[in-house]
Amino acid sequence: MKKPELLAPAGDLERLKIALLYGADAVYLGGNMFNLRANANNLTEEELKEGVEFAHKLNKKIYITVNISMHNKELVKIKEYLITLDKLNVDAIIITDPAIIPIAKKYTNLTLHLSTQTSSLNKEAIEFWKNEGVERVVLARECTKEDIEDIKKNVDIELEVFIHGAMCASYSGRCVLSNFLTGRDANRGGCSQICRWDFDLYEGDNHLEGDKPFTFCTKDLSMAGFIPDLIKTGADSFKIEGRMRSAYYIATIVRTYRKIIDEYCQNPENYTYNVKYEQTLRRVANRDSITQFFNGDYSKDVQYYNGREEKTNQDFIGIVLDYDDKTKLAKVEQRNYFKKGDKIEVFGPNDEFALTVTDLYDEDLNPLEIVRHPKQIVYLKMPKPVKKDYMLKMC
Amino acid sequence: MNKITAIINNLEEAKEINDLVDAYIMPLKGLSINYHHTFSLEEIETALKLNKEIFVSVNKNIHNDELPKLKEALTKLTKLKISGIIFYDISIVNLKKKMTFKTPLVWAQEHLTTNYGTVNYWNEKGAQYAYLSSELTKREILEIKENSKSKLFVNIFGYLPMFTSRRHLVKNYVETFDLKENARPAKLSKEGNDYLIEDTKLGTTVYSSYILNATEEDFKNVDYLVFNSNFIETKDFKEVLTDYKNKKPNKYPKNLGFMFEDTIYKVK
Repeated sequence: MKKPELLAPAGDLERLKIALLYGADAVYLGGNMFNLRANANNLTEEELKEGVEFAHKLNKKIYITVNISMHNKELVKIKEYLITLDKLNVDAIIITDPAIIPIAKKYTNLTLHLSTQTSSLNKEAIEFWKNEGVERVVLARECTKEDIEDIKKNVDIELEVFIHGAMCASYSGRCVLSNFLTGRDANRGGCSQICRWDFDLYEGDNHLEGDKPFTFCTKDLSMAGFIPDLIKTGADSFKIEGRMRSAYYIATIVRTYRKIIDEYCQNPENYTYNVKYEQTLRRVANRDSITQFFNGDYSKDVQYYNGREEKTNQDFIGIVLDYDDKTKLAKVEQRNYFKKGDKIEVFGPNDEFALTVTDLYDEDLNPLEIVRHPKQIVYLKMPKPVKKDYMLKMC
Repeated sequence: MNKITAIINNLEEAKEINDLVDAYIMPLKGLSINYHHTFSLEEIETALKLNKEIFVSVNKNIHNDELPKLKEALTKLTKLKISGIIFYDISIVNLKKKMTFKTPLVWAQEHLTTNYGTVNYWNEKGAQYAYLSSELTKREILEIKENSKSKLFVNIFGYLPMFTSRRHLVKNYVETFDLKENARPAKLSKEGNDYLIEDTKLGTTVYSSYILNATEEDFKNVDYLVFNSNFIETKDFKEVLTDYKNKKPNKYPKNLGFMFEDTIYKVK
């Protein structure tokens, strides 16, 4: 049995490092051009260089999204950008627009992955892309378990599938609600997520009014309980969605799926799904989740009708910046309010423990009762050693 | 010269407007989406007697288990003297090579047909025609024409599809809240604008709130200008085509969509 790659999103350099440290085998991210999250922080050329070096030192990979559908004006700039990415030694680029293929082949040695934006759903389409020199296809989210198995059996190409996160309500690439309603180009990185807006639905003059307003959107995807099934399809890479998500979210999701994949692969015959992981994933999510099309379900049960009213998550209270072995004090940057007496959990990539906040100090080591300011630097006594990038959350 | 191309609601309509058009786009039943009406192979055969160019749209996303159905349809279609097959799913390009059929292909990936480089890429892969995205500016359209080898289709009249899902969004909503459906078609309303929404067996399509009406624009040597009659009465559609033929403005409000409105994608 081949262990699949765990692929995580990274909206910036901090999250890139967190994702890799917390167990991702590879990360995908955008540079400052040509990617579908134009409004994420994205990475400068210098940051990309640092990110690639960081990943390669850990024997991990970096994929760069070059996944917009170009207009003429972008077309004239693409060659130079591809050459830059090639020089940075990235492991692959993820493309939507096939105009990139001949340019990349002629001027670079870049490995090409095909984005889910192309809605690749069947073995004939995927065979076409293989013959064009594409090494991996990110399958459409509408693929079922049987589809993935059949495609894998018939085409010798790497397949990447989504396992977690928010999914488009449309066939990817076939939605320009954002263009029409807000003038922001969905297929060039400006998607304003109209699918989450509330609408009034009418049939003729009859207002069809349910308890909650009509929206396009679906529940999020979570494949946590179906990882063995997914591994058995032969899919090569398991992808987590969320380049706009926080470091805490990335750390938690990556770490959880890392454990699930490893536990199954170490002992597939005796594997049982640990429902505790379900609770962990649910705590960082702000919407309900479901397996979506994997099990062939596109009925009413996949719809999500809470509009944009999503739960905020204040579990994440801080991130460790440093630790002093002698004093046993962790230097922590605050992310949410906490105080002396709170029961918290500290976790790192392979470590977790609970504690009650007792010895708490400000930046000048004066005793402190409450940590109320965003990004406030505080010191906290730890019962055992921690490392930079460990996270603190409420129990 | 531009060829006037009509997307029609039925064959009766085609007879009404036949003198006013040069070509038809006929969506194939069961394998096309984002059209209000689709046609059987028999109807397409009948339409060929109108002596106009007929392009058949097979533009749905093809799921893996739909491949046998697609192959069967292509086998039959390519025996007809149609002018081209309009496709979205790339399986059709692969099958053209494998099945060695000669029927031309029209690359029509709706919102992704946005630059001349990609038009030329698909031309080299066997698609001699491209159907451009409605989210382009007129300047971009003319640039593509200038820099590409393919013959081009451009929408200039009608409602525009702007969202396509595999899910049945109206049905799902109605079932979730146990509502009673009455008359169709359905529409979505937001901030004073109404958007037609249509559930079919193949999924859901949502259309623009307005009728694109760029019939007074000069598209120079763009090959096929498309008039879409979906959700429009035949007599009104015929009037629009007649006015166009006579170089007169039609009765619908002028609406140029994105032709002079470049979309943005970075808001910072």
